[in-house]
Amino acid sequence: MLHYFIDAFAMIGMSYFMGFLFYGFYRQFNARVQRRWGPSIFQNFFDNMKFLFKTETIIHGPMFFFGPMIIFAGAVTTVLFVPYLKDSIWLQGFSQSGNMILIVYLLVVGPLGNALAVGSSGNPFGVMGVTRGLTRLMGLEVPFLLGLALVMVQHETASVHAIMAAQPDFAHWNLVTNPLAFLVMILPFMASQHASPFDVVGAPVEVYAGPRVEFSGRLLGILMTQNMMMTVAKLVLIADLFLGGATTIWELIAKTFALFLLTAAISTSFPRLRTEQTVDFFWKIPLGLGVISVIATIWFPWS
Amino acid sequence: MLKLLFLSLALTPAATLFTWNGAVAWPLFDGITLLFDLTPLAAFFMALLAIGAPFVALPMLRGKSDEPTYALYAVLLLGMQLLLLAGDFIGFFIGWEMMTWSSYLLLLRSPRIDLEGAQSYILFNLASAFLLLAGMLFLYSITDDFRIQAIDGLLTPDKWALFTLFGLAFLIKVGALPLHLWVPRSYDQAPDVFSAFLSALMSKMGIYGLMLLPLLFPDGLSEISGRFLNGPVAGYVLAWIGVITSIIATFKAIAQEDMKRLLAYSSIAQVGYIVTALGVGSSLAIGGALFQALVHTLVKLLLFITIAGIILQTGHRRFTDLGQLISRMPISFFGVLIGIIGLAGMPPLPGFAAKYLMYIGLIDAHWLLLLAALILSSTASFVYCYKLIYGPFLGHANSPEAKIATEAPWHYLVPQILLMGMLVALGIFPGWAIEVLIDPVLIGLGMTPIGAPAWSVLATSYGGYDGIAVMGVFATIFVLITALFFLGRGRMHRATSSYDLSFCGEVPTAATPLHYGAGMGRELRRVPLIGWILRHTTINFYSGLMHQTQATAGMIGTLYGSNPQVWILFAVLIFALTLTVQMLTGA
Amino acid sequence: MYHHDHCEGFQCEQQQLEATLAHSGGELGALDRLIAWFRQRSLFVLAYGTGCGAIEMRPLMTSRFDAERFGIIGAATPRQADVLVISGYLAIKTLKRVIRSYEQMQEPKYVIGLGSCTINGGMYWDSYNTIKQLDHYLPVDMYVNGCMPRPEALIEGFVALQKQIANGAPSGAMRYRENIDWYKANQRRVLGDNMPPDYTYDWYHAGDVA
Repeated sequence: MLHYFIDAFAMIGMSYFMGFLFYGFYRQFNARVQRRWGPSIFQNFFDNMKFLFKTETIIHGPMFFFGPMIIFAGAVTTVLFVPYLKDSIWLQGFSQSGNMILIVYLLVVGPLGNALAVGSSGNPFGVMGVTRGLTRLMGLEVPFLLGLALVMVQHETASVHAIMAAQPDFAHWNLVTNPLAFLVMILPFMASQHASPFDVVGAPVEVYAGPRVEFSGRLLGILMTQNMMMTVAKLVLIADLFLGGATTIWELIAKTFALFLLTAAISTSFPRLRTEQTVDFFWKIPLGLGVISVIATIWFPWS
Repeated sequence: MLKLLFLSLALTPAATLFTWNGAVAWPLFDGITLLFDLTPLAAFFMALLAIGAPFVALPMLRGKSDEPTYALYAVLLLGMQLLLLAGDFIGFFIGWEMMTWSSYLLLLRSPRIDLEGAQSYILFNLASAFLLLAGMLFLYSITDDFRIQAIDGLLTPDKWALFTLFGLAFLIKVGALPLHLWVPRSYDQAPDVFSAFLSALMSKMGIYGLMLLPLLFPDGLSEISGRFLNGPVAGYVLAWIGVITSIIATFKAIAQEDMKRLLAYSSIAQVGYIVTALGVGSSLAIGGALFQALVHTLVKLLLFITIAGIILQTGHRRFTDLGQLISRMPISFFGVLIGIIGLAGMPPLPGFAAKYLMYIGLIDAHWLLLLAALILSSTASFVYCYKLIYGPFLGHANSPEAKIATEAPWHYLVPQILLMGMLVALGIFPGWAIEVLIDPVLIGLGMTPIGAPAWSVLATSYGGYDGIAVMGVFATIFVLITALFFLGRGRMHRATSSYDLSFCGEVPTAATPLHYGAGMGRELRRVPLIGWILRHTTINFYSGLMHQTQATAGMIGTLYGSNPQVWILFAVLIFALTLTVQMLTGA
Repeated sequence: MYHHDHCEGFQCEQQQLEATLAHSGGELGALDRLIAWFRQRSLFVLAYGTGCGAIEMRPLMTSRFDAERFGIIGAATPRQADVLVISGYLAIKTLKRVIRSYEQMQEPKYVIGLGSCTINGGMYWDSYNTIKQLDHYLPVDMYVNGCMPRPEALIEGFVALQKQIANGAPSGAMRYRENIDWYKANQRRVLGDNMPPDYTYDWYHAGDVA
């Protein structure tokens, strides 16, 4: 029992630390690309703390208050169901009682709970943002899960532990053995991280900040916290599935950072797409690639 | 008194379920014997009926007693029990017809029914019944037997004929595209509570029929024309029908502006998933289909009864006329909330278990393109789920009635609360549903049972999950973060006006259009695929088909000109062709 | 006070402001000091482009001036903003929107008045439809004078505001709360019946003054 508690706290703390450092790095990276100095690498931590210590927070009814709590609970549940380390009793959380499809669905629980809060605020701009978010989700989820399904078919399991165990060395990484699956899911994965070409939903100048429009003070702080933790959970999930997982914390940080760097590099380079362009893109390029890889790796007898 | 009698009548399916033992054979006339038996498969659907019937009956008790409705409802229940108990196609057909006609008469008692709705309901259902009749007579012509059992040594064309006839009959009942026209109309126009029965229970009879279909062949659907990857070819066709139905119905649901029509399209979509899973036919997929049938029954009962309560209290059924009912109808809000979580298949509730089993079934069959299509429709369903809860409950009140509405009467609330409890319990204990409800059916069908190591665990060969762990972790974190939030420093205050919104510095008033209920999903039309789907309607498809048929007929008609020489030429040519074919085939 | 060897022009005034701030807030506890430090390190700005100052405010976020290195970044809605920058003259029509935006911001919140027009009306001192002294209508925490001040001057203003926050000086919102009668009376004098609705300052229960 005590083990579970310490483990859970370690996972939550680690996700938070990695989250704000990664985002701080992202802001630095972005600034350097734009030839600026950029903020401190801890800037996201400062922002988050400032919001958590605001002295005033407005709420629009009980559902509005509980929305951020639901999204936070969803994010922490996701974190606790992703195994962070391979062959270790630490940083496992409750991942033994979950699987890949569950994690992918858990990623969506929180935002949907928060959508209720946005709706109950009565701000039409927020609801517009939610609809955009759900539309984008519709676009990205198909190729994302198809890419993961290719891995599940390859290993005949949905358990993240089993898939990690099947990738003992570089030659057995799914990135190497099933590169098509990686290509199919990587762009939707970036969109699920709200990275730049696909960030129309919550971008500050789009429909007045999108779903977050009415959130202020400490509730906004909670939303920021969960976003950073969720990002790390997603990165770890992909590192587990395609980069063979990690046996030490340093390895984990290196692998997730590599994935994050890829996301950051793409998102600093490409301009934002409109919602329907995003969906159309996902249904043409990554999904088309997905169909090709299904035909190539599953339908034909050589596979 | 009459009401009590009616309520006890509504409990008859439960009574049948618990007291039935042994088979009954009733010799009708020479050579024909009616068989009645409660197979495990029928028992599963009988259980659904046993749960649903009293829940639908309870809201019907409200107000002045309506004897014809009660009588018709009793006949309907009798017909459905007959259908489920039947061991041969005669009993099945009698039950099917009783169900069709009594539900039609019930439908006619709605004040909102129009000619188009009534006609389409009865025409499509009669077509279904006649296809069923044709199928069973065809079966009798080959086997001299009406019993529902596996038949050896059928020819491939015969198999396809049976599959098509029965398949079409049941697909009409489940509302597969393009045979779904009657569904949105009748679910929309039926009495508000009766819609729950139509969607939750009667559509399941089509599913029951589709599940009987593989029983006619010794090796299931694979027998018809072989296998594709890890599943039957015939099932692949069926699965695509199901998944295309669910995709199109989902987008249609998003575009609806009426709550009941939205739910009607969502029923088509959800039942489409079941058809897809039935097509796969493996034990995982059949388990998923049964689970989805169970969840869909509970969810649709809950949603339709809740929506009926809202319509009763406000008199409005369109998203544009409602809003902000969350504080006035809190229990109904939770009803719809739990309902849409189940509908969307979100993890803590059993909808996820059903989706999980279906996904795993498709992955196991290696049918990944179908999986992608299923995910598309299941993700798109989030939009209409959100619309369903935002429109009536959140945002701003848009009509005088919505501003003064009160909570629905207890007749509506009792089923809602019980159904919510059932859904949450099933979400925590998916393994219980597998072990108690689904595995007996799978064993009865001669398949490998899925099994569950513990009541809370859903386990498959592909891995599983623990309902208690998911729900427990989520609830613990939720409570902890809420407590921490309250412990933290900082004042929270509630906005005193619902117009205290960030609105670009402007001050919105009651005249500002702030409710986004009806417009939601309108911008989806800009996505090319969705726009294409929403621009085309099934009625246009049918009228296009009609025009094409007429054009073809006209073209063929021109061949039969007034010149007799042409006729003679045709006659000679056909005669020559027949002779050639006969000579070549050596007949 | 004007020493050419230390500073030049507006910088001197800035320094004066900063000098007066230096000795307040020594009585803060450790947690409060930490919170104050976080607050000053992260300022979300609602840039209200009312007048010609708007053109000087935009370059702040660009590569050349890069205000983000001070933790200053734009916010889209008043709910998320900490600082309201009033950039220049304020027409009466705009004042109503500014007041509403300010009241929708969550405390602690700060106002920066940019340009001479916010101090005394500037070149619009005799205009019939602009306000002359912003301080009569909203509590200003920091002025940046000049017509127009350069972006560097605005950054100076921000830095001075950050020091003020780090010292634990109460935000102008406290003044607004305490003197709400006076502020509302002033606002009513120019806006007449066109006042923003009173539910945005619902903490104010002083009667029918507003």
